[in-house]
Formats: sequence, structure tokens, C-alpha cells
Amino acid sequence: MIIELGPPGVRLDWMGPDAAIVVEGATRTRVRFVTEADRSAVLVGGWHIEVVVESERLAALREKARRGADFAGHGGPTEVRAIIPGRVVAVSVAPGDEVVAGQQLLVVEAMKMQNELRAPRAGTVASLATGTGQTVEVGDLLVVLS
Amino acid sequence: MASLRKDDVAGRGQERLPFRRVLVANRGEIAVRIIRACHELGIEAIGIYSDADADALHTRLADVAVRIGPAAPTESYLRIDAVVEAARSAGADAIHPGYGFLAERASFARSVEEAGIVFVGPPADAIQALGDKLHARRLAQTVDVPVVPGTLEPVAIDRPDRLAVVMEEAERVGFPLLVKAAAGGGGRGMRRVTDLAGLPAALEAGFAEALSAFGDGAVYLEREILPARHIEVQLLGDGTGRVAALGERDCSLQRRHQKLVEEAPAPGISPAERRALHAMAVRLGKAAGLRNAATAEFLRAPDGTFAFLEVNTRLQVEHGVTELVMGVDLVREQLRIAAGLPLSEAALAAAERAADPGSHAIEVRIAAENPALDFTPAPGRISSWTMPGGPGVRIDSGVGQGDRVAPEYDNLVAKLMVHAGDRDAAIDRLRRALDETEIGGIQTTVPFHRFVARDASFRAGEVSTGWVAERYDGAADLRRALGIAKLATGLAAIEGRHPSRPAPPKPVDGRAESDGRWRAAGRADTMDRWPR
Repeated sequence: MIIELGPPGVRLDWMGPDAAIVVEGATRTRVRFVTEADRSAVLVGGWHIEVVVESERLAALREKARRGADFAGHGGPTEVRAIIPGRVVAVSVAPGDEVVAGQQLLVVEAMKMQNELRAPRAGTVASLATGTGQTVEVGDLLVVLS
Repeated sequence: MASLRKDDVAGRGQERLPFRRVLVANRGEIAVRIIRACHELGIEAIGIYSDADADALHTRLADVAVRIGPAAPTESYLRIDAVVEAARSAGADAIHPGYGFLAERASFARSVEEAGIVFVGPPADAIQALGDKLHARRLAQTVDVPVVPGTLEPVAIDRPDRLAVVMEEAERVGFPLLVKAAAGGGGRGMRRVTDLAGLPAALEAGFAEALSAFGDGAVYLEREILPARHIEVQLLGDGTGRVAALGERDCSLQRRHQKLVEEAPAPGISPAERRALHAMAVRLGKAAGLRNAATAEFLRAPDGTFAFLEVNTRLQVEHGVTELVMGVDLVREQLRIAAGLPLSEAALAAAERAADPGSHAIEVRIAAENPALDFTPAPGRISSWTMPGGPGVRIDSGVGQGDRVAPEYDNLVAKLMVHAGDRDAAIDRLRRALDETEIGGIQTTVPFHRFVARDASFRAGEVSTGWVAERYDGAADLRRALGIAKLATGLAAIEGRHPSRPAPPKPVDGRAESDGRWRAAGRADTMDRWPR
């Protein structure tokens, strides 16, 4: 994957082993690089942005997989996965239900807050991989839309 | 139970409370805050902890820490019997509940009192009376305190034959209106209704949510005031019938009825208006027989009129901004009052000048949430933690580097407070302090707070409860940051400088052998996948 480096004249001024200023013309933005175990992130403006280093070969494979997923997204099933860990407190659909884009599928409670998970597109609920009361982790399959 | 420290109390000051040990029935930053107040008074602090908090700061800071159960709050911090037993076995003279968990459960205050232990808070009867929002609304009317227009009795939701009456009431209240839980708080059981057709479903949903959250499904109707400012008055009562108002706080910046930013005093309000507001709150406190600390919440309509919302019978999350401008330690006052002492000279003097306090304080709640995803919770492990310092900066926090922000609990990780001579200087200080703040490993609300500290309308004091939704575009903010993150990682890689210390371990699949190209991932991908 190629990084776009923006206009010429962009540079990094290092302020220490893990801190730097990104200089773009008159704009100076402080960044900090943090690494823990195998995870790396850049802190900028209060944002915690995870970054991964990968080889050209791996990047190409990932790109291929992503394109495949996009293609499948137009006709094939769509997998809806958990993006926050928590507990499923309500399931609003059942297999076979027709749903419209944006319709609530289920509610995941995390940190005392209820988070509605909505359908990314219209379709039919092909299967439910979770139920009320179940604990889910990030990435867990919740619903398959066909 | 493990005794962690034995302080000598020889160095403590003049004031001696009759308490030798106080159990702090809470966790996180507020438990730390209360333990510190105990230590300053020469009182031993007994901490309680769940399995998730065995190594938490509040557990380590306590003089004695008692395990009370597994991570789930219902099996630990919400267990009245376990908390009271912990206090009894540790020989505590008093229990401070903090906020949240059991703080506003009248049954808890009663159990504590029945065990012969002092409850640091209002009497159980006052908690019960004021915790019922409908009761509080009726009480306000008896002392000429205007309430937000709405109903004063529970909606007869279980009586289909009364639906016509309910509809009539709703039309009288006016739309948009809110269905609210009488036993509610934190937006639970609350539903917004824009027209008559949507009312039955909202009543049903509000009832069900209130019943599951509070064990009481009673709901009532209240007109939605928009744009409104949320302004609340800090009250202290000492049991002699004396109730003092220690100024007000503006908590208008909210999302989903959760506060994000609080300040004292409320900007753009004259001392005369403040005095009138404080007097209303004091009338309410006296009518309720208030002892110890409580907060009366009001909405201020665009025409400048105030309407009473509810009373919280506990220490508020945002009590620190009042402490900074009033020069009063509210937790110390709470402990004094619980010990039977009258309001301190400092508190009485503060109440005298509360309408014109002469300085300004702002608090931002740094929570583990993603501001680009409508502030959804973002738990995780904190990999790096840099907090600001310097003049006029106060940090109240219960976590640090290496700690896990557990999904079981509230996601507040730190309260950053600034104090300065006036509001402009306080905002400058806030911006500076936020620039020094760096938290790695989890996403927090810091980007939002940085936006607030730089925003012209915030500086102009144009705050309202709709401000966050109207003015802040978290996704756009993140896109800008992503661009810079990509630039930074790309440049670092090209320079052959691995931006980490110490050098990261080589992954087994040999990825570190790569040509050093980076890919910004994770949150960006997450955003694309999560329907907004």
C-alpha cells in the first residue's frame, strides 16, 4: 500500500524518541508514537489512531480480500460484527425478517450505555449468531444479512 | 482483607472528627477523591473492590481494602449487604457512598443507619422523597419554585381506558415532550415524543425501561425546553435547618443527557439572577429537610426563566468546579456534617459571595469514548498516560498507565479541571492543559474537549443542551487527524526511524522485515463498518 505524502515540504521534526511535529507549511501538529506489544498507534489531537506495519505481500493479500468482500457486499451475504465488547440486551429481528437499511438489529450494552446496532443495508436476516444476554467481543459475528 | 498501610496521625491538624474509619463505598476517581479527604482529616479509609479492581488505584490508596465480589456491579458495588458487612467487619464508623452505585438508594442509607453506622449523605427519608421526581416536582410547587411544565402524577399507563385523558394531558403539556421515569436518572426510561401519534409507543417503552432499570415503571410527561441551559445549584444543609447554596454550575454541554463539560459560575448570568436562583434552591432544600450535600438542577429557557428539574441527593461528579471557585472542600464538609458539626465558617463565607465568586473553573470529563462514533464506549487498556500540570490545573482520576478501563463500569477515566481569575483565562488554561494531555491505548473524549476549548461560541458563552449535536462533527475531526497520522507514520518509516521506544518485538510472521510501509488502520476501518 502506498502512502500519499502530500505536497512537498512536509517533514517531521523529532522532539524526542517517540514524539514529533508534522510540519506542513505553516501548520505544525504534534504527534506521538506509542507501541505496546504488537500494537502501534499515533496520538494526534487527542485521537488514538492505530497503525499496523505490513509487508507489500501482506498488503496485497489484504487488498484482494477487501475487494472480494466489497464484491460480495453487492449481492452476497453481509456479516455484521461487533465493534464494541459488551452484552447483548435486546435482539430486534429474527431469521427470515426483511430489514431496511438503518433498521435496528440489536442492542449491545457496554459501560452502562445501550448501543443500537443497525442494518448496514436492506436485506433478509439469514441467521443470528447471538442472543439476548450473551457477551460479545470485538469482531464477533452477530447477524448475517442476505 | 489486607491492611496496606498504617499512618501515624500525629501530624494532623486541629480539627478532629469523631470518625476513626470511613468506608468508601465506591470505585474509580470518586473513591480516590474521598479517600484523600479522609486522609487529610486523619481518618482511615476503608476501600472496597471487585475482582476487576483488585489492583485499582482506589484499592491501593485505601488503608484497608475489602473484596466484595466479582466484576459485575450487581454482584459487588451494588450489594447492600456486602457493603454494610464490609463496613461492620472493618470497624467503620461511617460510609461515604460517592456518586452512582448505591449513593441515591434510600434502602442503602437505611441499612447503613440500622447497622449503627453513619451514612455520609442526606437522611434516607430525604433521599426517598427527592428521588421520586414527581414528589420533588410537587414539593417545588409548594415553595413557589417553578417546575418544567408537565404532569405531577404518574401517567396511568396500565389503564387503557384512561388513554384519552393521557392524550389530553400531553396536548396540554405541549410537544415536543419527554416521557421520563419518576425513579429515573441518566436518561434511563426517557423518550422524546414529537407528536400525539408517537405517545403510546413512547409511554410503553419508557415504562419498560424504567421498570427494568429502577424496578419502578412510573413515568410522567415533561415539556422539552429547547434550546435550554442546564444550570444546577450546590446545596449543603447541616441538620440545624440551615441550608446554604454554594453557587451554581453550568452543565449544558451534554450528549445523550450525559454531561461532558461543566463550569462555575454559569456564564452570562447576573449576580441578581444568581441570587434568585440560589434562593429557589435553598427553599427547596429546606422544604425537603435536606442535610448534607445535594444539588438542585434547573433548566434555563431562552427567555431567562428558570424551571426546576430534579434534586440529586449526593455529591455530583462535577463538584470540583464548585470547590475551586468557592474555596471549600465539599467532601470535608460532608464528613463534618455527617459527624454532627454545623456548616464550617468557610462554607458560610462562600455562600455569602456565591453570587459573585470572583474566579472561574471549568471541568471536562475525559471518558473512554469515541467522539467520531457518537461517543460510543471504547473500553481497553491504557498504554500511556500523560496528564497536564502547572498553575490552576487539577486532575481527579482513578486510573493510570497499564490500567484496564473495564466495560462493566462507568467509562470516566479522568476529570480535568482548570481554575483562573476569569472565564477567558480559564478557557486559555483549559486549551493549554488539554494540549499537554496524551492518553494512549484507548480512545477518549479529549478531541471533543480540544474542540470546545478552541470554539468561538463556547468562548462567547453560547452554550445549550443542543450544542454538542449542533456544533461538533467528530467524524470530520477524526478524518483530519487520520491524514496527519498517515503522514507522520509514512515519514517516520521513510526516515528508517522506528517511532517507538523500546524497539518493538519482531512479529513471528516476519512483518518487521517489511519495507517499512505503514498502514493506518483500526479506527478508520471500524468507522466504515459501523453504520452511522
